[in-house]
Amino acid sequence: MSDQPLLDRPVTRRAVLVGGSLAGFSAFLAACGTQGTASSPTPGQTATAPPAGTPAATSAPPTTPPVRATYSTELNWANWCCYLDVDPADKTKWKTLEDFKKKYGTTVNYKEVIDANEGFVATIANQIVAGQDPGWDIITVTDWMVARLIRLGWLEKFETANMPNFVANVRDVYKAQTWDAAMAYHAPWQTGMTGIGADTTKTGEITSVKSLFEDDPRWHGKVEFLTEMRDAIGLSMLALGLDPRTPTRDGADKAVALMKRAQAAKTVRDVKGNAYTEDLAAGVAVLVMAWSGDIVGLQAEAPNLKFIFPTEGVMFWTDNVCIPKGAVHKGTAELLIDYCYVPENAAQIEAGVAYVTPVKGVQEIFAASADNKALATDPLRFPPAGLEPKLVPFGILSDEDETYFNEQFATVIGD
Amino acid sequence: MTAEAAPMNRPRVGLLTSIKRLADRYLLMTYTSLAVIYLLLPVAVIILFSFNDPIGRRNFVWQRFSLDAWLNPLGVPGLGESVWLSLVIAFVSTLFATMIGTLMALALVRYEFRGKSLTNSLIFLPMATPEIVMGASLLTLFVSIGNPPFFPLNIVTILIAHILFNISYVVVTVRARLVGFPRHLEEAAMDLGANEWVTFWRVTFPLILPGIVAAALLAFSLSIDDFVITNFSAGQTQTFPMFIYAQARVGVPVQVYVIGSIIFLVAVISVGLTTLAGRRQSSG
Amino acid sequence: MGGWLYRRRRFIPYLLLVPGLVWLIVFFAYPLTQVFLASFWSGSVQQGYSFSISNWTNYPDAITPVLPHIGRSLLYSFAATVLTLLIAYPLAYTIAMRGGRFKNLLLFLVVAPFFTSFLLRTLSWKIILGDDGVVFGPLKGLGLLPEDFRVLATPMAVVAGLTYNFLPFMTLPIYVALEKIDFRLVEAARDLYAGPWRRSGAIVGALVGGVLAALLAMAFDWSIPITAVLAASFGAFVGSVFVSEAFVRITFPLSLPGVFAGSLLTFIPAMGDYVNAEFLGNPDTRMLGNVIQNRFLTQNNFPEASALSFTLMAGILVVVVIYTKLLGTEQLTNSRI
Repeated sequence: MSDQPLLDRPVTRRAVLVGGSLAGFSAFLAACGTQGTASSPTPGQTATAPPAGTPAATSAPPTTPPVRATYSTELNWANWCCYLDVDPADKTKWKTLEDFKKKYGTTVNYKEVIDANEGFVATIANQIVAGQDPGWDIITVTDWMVARLIRLGWLEKFETANMPNFVANVRDVYKAQTWDAAMAYHAPWQTGMTGIGADTTKTGEITSVKSLFEDDPRWHGKVEFLTEMRDAIGLSMLALGLDPRTPTRDGADKAVALMKRAQAAKTVRDVKGNAYTEDLAAGVAVLVMAWSGDIVGLQAEAPNLKFIFPTEGVMFWTDNVCIPKGAVHKGTAELLIDYCYVPENAAQIEAGVAYVTPVKGVQEIFAASADNKALATDPLRFPPAGLEPKLVPFGILSDEDETYFNEQFATVIGD
Repeated sequence: MTAEAAPMNRPRVGLLTSIKRLADRYLLMTYTSLAVIYLLLPVAVIILFSFNDPIGRRNFVWQRFSLDAWLNPLGVPGLGESVWLSLVIAFVSTLFATMIGTLMALALVRYEFRGKSLTNSLIFLPMATPEIVMGASLLTLFVSIGNPPFFPLNIVTILIAHILFNISYVVVTVRARLVGFPRHLEEAAMDLGANEWVTFWRVTFPLILPGIVAAALLAFSLSIDDFVITNFSAGQTQTFPMFIYAQARVGVPVQVYVIGSIIFLVAVISVGLTTLAGRRQSSG
Repeated sequence: MGGWLYRRRRFIPYLLLVPGLVWLIVFFAYPLTQVFLASFWSGSVQQGYSFSISNWTNYPDAITPVLPHIGRSLLYSFAATVLTLLIAYPLAYTIAMRGGRFKNLLLFLVVAPFFTSFLLRTLSWKIILGDDGVVFGPLKGLGLLPEDFRVLATPMAVVAGLTYNFLPFMTLPIYVALEKIDFRLVEAARDLYAGPWRRSGAIVGALVGGVLAALLAMAFDWSIPITAVLAASFGAFVGSVFVSEAFVRITFPLSLPGVFAGSLLTFIPAMGDYVNAEFLGNPDTRMLGNVIQNRFLTQNNFPEASALSFTLMAGILVVVVIYTKLLGTEQLTNSRI
């Protein structure tokens, strides 16, 4: 695949790793510079890209788009759990949203209603097909789902002229996705990794993703898999020495067989979505497929837990904010997305969300701050340069393959 | 496994018989106490864990006593709205279902008419239908209509569903009260010159009111707790049970246990009060 | 005026019924036919749906892959019904026969769990049955249970949840049936039949205990012979010691309508439940309800989802119709209050 040119790009000492690709999901990675080192312009940048050589360290000044009369006083945003910063002063509120509301006089109806891409999109599909208001102005979905929604024509096109911060501050590696080369339908929200979460005091040292499928008395009955098909099949393929960048039906069969074998041996306790964190924190699961940001959150209550980068690699993905077709408050949605691309605002979000930010300049803001200095070197927020070849995005699936993969995987989930 | 009192005249008192006598005296009551404890254990856990101070979001392991959640019972984003929505839905659906159901109960008990047994079946069937089937069929209906106010799913569709499943329960409850109704009181009122309307409001209604109140309480509690049917008819609207379900994936916050405890206490108190009031009325 | 009212009197019941009937027909009866029609749809949300009888293949297509789920639903629901019956009968019996002045209080305590959230109650079993929780933690500490023993994420937890949640549905109808029994009958029986059931009690007890335990063992993946033998001995003990002949000949037969009603009121909701299997089980315990929920709400696969719900509804309708033909609806409706 065509990820070589990207991988060859110079990577500096404090390189920040971000996700993205040239050929859809099949490539990823780049580095952006530090302290005045300009990030290399990505080959094939689009017209909306910021001027080449914009220093990442000195982020673009937070420009405020003019408040237009078309902005609504209402905005509806559907997101996943734990994907926004809680207001330290009032735990019932989201700080960034409060700031936004105050600044623009809108109300934001923000709901953590998404638990799985398919399940969530099912709740808006009927409305979109019927040409009605889908109920949300912003939805947050993983990149493969964005690609599908674009293909179906279910997303509104951004008015990028009204989103100067987004255009200026999105990191270069996110650009030039084949399914949205102009970045007119999606704005990256967070990038994350799917690897192993383990209580290493119970499991001992874990290095290989193969451990998830081995029946070992130390974790017998205490293993959990994820319900996201690409994460579970992806990690299983890595364990089998297959490459999830180029998924095949044969690979899916083998991956599913591997998981089913572990289930039949009663190694596996459960297959879950976000809820695996509960079992991990309670200690009833000790070795799980895990999302990187979750483990950071869990460490506060269970310091034994570690996020492990298996030697075979981790699955690498990006969740994006999009505007669904028929959204009533499109202009305000663009305003909010743009607001989150102001580096200072992105840093505030990032301090509360332990994933990889798509916004330039956040690491520098952390490095310069008094309270959040440690975050600038957090490997889960800013994965170190050496890991790049191990960050594996799941390849693009055709509709037929998607159905096939899902059908096979359904036997693992049980539904 | 269940015992009748031991017969009086027994020729010999064996070991088995003495066990049985002991059983008769203590076993059943002990068993019943244990069964009641079993039934109430989860409620006790809910109340206990509403005073927990968990580390992080996960309220599954007892840490230490804390009043924090009780002092700030809505202190989680989205919880307050969902509780409020559930209360509104429970109130409105109870109001409508109680009116509709009471009228039906009156018709069924007071009048003979054609189609009565069919009507009875139609009232009975929703109670014998698994919730998931009722919810799924409503969803299919709403989606195939495909137009407001039935679609997109919203508070209106939730109300339709809640009124639907409540009607049968109201009919059955009010009917039970009407069956033993002293008709001669109404006849006396009519003989004294009251017309049907006045008789209904002055005589019938006050007498069946306890039944109506009981039905309304039942409807309210069914509505505020319904998850399955609501899940199919709510779309993106989040009621309190829907909120719990969504949070269950990531750890149910302590505040949810507080709200659960409050609902329990309020329900117990209001049922207690109605029972007392009913007793006073019937004895007075 | 009297004449006016009199002439219209026969319309009054219909007037009273109209709002309710309209509601029940439009939002209950009609949607059920709609589900039946939708089970013959083809297409998808994007392309739209079209009806054709030739889409009867939706049924085999939908049912074949979920036969294990249907089997589990039947097995778990049956197990839960049996367990609720075993727990509820003595409870209802005590309340009805020995409740005395505590009768109303005890009844109130039986329904009290309904006053708080069904979801929260189910979740609190997760706390109680936790791998190292209040129940199993100490037992493991004493070495009575192996370290890796667990109930959560197994069929046991799902059946335990179903049993707990539907226990009042079983208790109330049995109570209502027992309450109606004329106690003089039992007194008379005592004069006729002498005391405990003895030998027959032991045999019947052993048979019932053994067969039921074997079924439960199947559901829980326990050793069938050991479980059956243990339960048979227990059944024989209970049958010979605690059960009197008067009970077997009078009380129990008279309470049977309550037992049937309670079994139906437990079995039906258990067949459609998906919350217990989701909260307390794991992928190996998913039931038909989970599949229907998933097809409707996650996959948006209305045709297959409708085929499955219609199959469930049809199965339950058959049971309910047989029941009501034999016993009427009174037991069912009266005791649900």
